[in-house]
Amino acid sequence: MIPTAIDRGLGDDLASDLAAAALTLARKFSDGATMWSLAPSWAPHAQHIAVEFVHPVIVGKRALPAVALIGPDFVSAARVSVRPGDIVIAVADADDPAVRSVMRRAPAWGATTLWIGNGARPPVGAADHVLWLDDPDPRTPATGGFVLLYHLLWELTHVCFEHPGLMKAGNGECSEDVCVTCSDEGRLGEVLTSSVEGVARVRTGGGEEAVSTVLVEPVAPGELVLVHAGMAISKVGEEA
Amino acid sequence: MTGNKADTEATNFLYPFIDAEERDSKSLLDDLAESARSKAAESAALRRSTLEANEALVATAAAEMARRFAAGGRLFTFGNGGSSTDSTTLAALFARPPSGDPLPAWSLTTDQAILTALGNDVGFELVFARQLIARSRSGDIAIAMSTSGSSPDLMVALREARRRGLYTIGFAGYDGGSFATSPDVDVCFVVRSQSVHRIQEAQALLGYQLWESVHSQGADA
Repeated sequence: MIPTAIDRGLGDDLASDLAAAALTLARKFSDGATMWSLAPSWAPHAQHIAVEFVHPVIVGKRALPAVALIGPDFVSAARVSVRPGDIVIAVADADDPAVRSVMRRAPAWGATTLWIGNGARPPVGAADHVLWLDDPDPRTPATGGFVLLYHLLWELTHVCFEHPGLMKAGNGECSEDVCVTCSDEGRLGEVLTSSVEGVARVRTGGGEEAVSTVLVEPVAPGELVLVHAGMAISKVGEEA
Repeated sequence: MTGNKADTEATNFLYPFIDAEERDSKSLLDDLAESARSKAAESAALRRSTLEANEALVATAAAEMARRFAAGGRLFTFGNGGSSTDSTTLAALFARPPSGDPLPAWSLTTDQAILTALGNDVGFELVFARQLIARSRSGDIAIAMSTSGSSPDLMVALREARRRGLYTIGFAGYDGGSFATSPDVDVCFVVRSQSVHRIQEAQALLGYQLWESVHSQGADA
């Protein structure tokens, strides 16, 4: 019996998703990003991604900063590692609790997210780029399907570097530092301290700031809130 | 800069990708998607031809592995770089399978203390051989994964494995490298490609096929 993994071509949607993800990676790396990889159930995939980018198999390609995050507490490991402008890439099922938590928090850390997996898809918007094999076969992670996806991601990312004019988001594309339309709606923040006299330290994509919490109290460290004009206007629940 | 820009702008339309003036990403994205489809098709074709070319060899190796597992043998996998992670995935497939009985299998790259101690004290060529000396015994199985098929640390480990009565399996790319001709390698799977990426993708599927064949040979009994 030949596994289905071999006969499944790369659909147009997945090819387009890979292209868009590669352009994002190249832009972020050009701006100095580090890429953090995690794969709670298949640690070797996280490590393969890191070694792929750090030590390219093709002589002459530049080494890029990529690091595999190791458990047991992936959320804490990511929180202390990720800096604004970085990339988080996960290889995991859609229901992996650690990856779901990291992905939800990543905007508050200023990180761009990629999620590779198979079977049931994560909810729309769960990551900036979702690279998904729809085959639910639990053996898929061991048949080379994911290896193919991150190999292609590496190959396409390096093609993008040959287009220096495209390494900045162009006109009409949202660049999160300046896009008024986006920032107007409120930014995700992760609470760092309990509030004192109605003010808490909150981490957002722009860094740490003091935020008024009078509308959402009580708040505890680790909770996610929407920040608008220096004020936490609502909490963001688990499934948001 | 502006003067220079004005000089060159008039002819830039002839060379859309010539320099940093490129602004529209659509054409690049289309090229990337086409490249992804083409590479994926190449990968699938190579995986299919590799499975077909190695069908008999997989059956032979799986039968011997199943016999050894049934008699209490254990599996050790190892490799360098991306191949080390692929060999760890393979060991995990045997030890924590999605279906069927787990079989005793370990990757020799998982303990950084052992790897760095051996690399520092006795040299990198011995990082796997020394672990086999300590842990393996006659009746066990060794799988070395490599794209070149010639890495010195893997060659030394396979020689040690063979000397100790292990069944030795090598995964290689290109023309098989030293694995293909070494008397220390019982079975050599060669993925005939010049691309490290495509070789690793085909090796992953070969490893999976080997695991499945071991189970269909009755290692669970």
